[in-house]
Amino acid sequence: MMDAVNISMAVRIIIDILLLIGFYFALAGVVGLLRMPDSYCRMQSSTNVATLGMLGALIAALVYSAVTGATGMAIKLGCLCVFNIITNPIASHAICKAAYKLGIRPKDKMVCDDYGEDQTDD
Amino acid sequence: MDKEDLGMTELMIFAILYGILALIVCVRLYKGPSSVDRAVASDCVDSLTTVSLALFAVFSGRSIYLDISMTLAVLGFLGTVMISRYLEGKL
Repeated sequence: MMDAVNISMAVRIIIDILLLIGFYFALAGVVGLLRMPDSYCRMQSSTNVATLGMLGALIAALVYSAVTGATGMAIKLGCLCVFNIITNPIASHAICKAAYKLGIRPKDKMVCDDYGEDQTDD
Repeated sequence: MDKEDLGMTELMIFAILYGILALIVCVRLYKGPSSVDRAVASDCVDSLTTVSLALFAVFSGRSIYLDISMTLAVLGFLGTVMISRYLEGKL
């Protein structure tokens, strides 16, 4: 049982670095989500949490479970990573479109508004 | 002492830290000016809770928490898309 749990020091350092990268990005995203002045800026900062803040920790867990021999958990974590990569742009696009349709505009004047020009055409 | 040191304690530590981050995001969930901000914050809470549950599942070696975490990820995505469709007025 001790041999199953025992992992080498290099793998442990790699897992720690991946966890630290993930937690750094999650912390930056949370601070941005609390401190940004605008609704669109907050959306952009929450994407920071959802991409690398999740993927760092999930890949660290995948490496740990693959090294210790828990193959089922590793496969599930890989499915979770792929699902996260696929679904995050869809959710971000949907919520951004909803914010535009709801009438929320940025604090300063927009530099470029292609979607609004398309709306006024028809 | 070597036998005690074999477990990966930092997985549990980072799971707790991700949980604390999810609690901090609840501030934005409470005082968001518009409903879009609240939807974004709830999506963020879903992501952080998913990571925390996955880390705890790997630490404790129980696969049931990983199933809960995958279900939470799917439900968070569906909830965000449904809320944005509703705010758009197309539902």
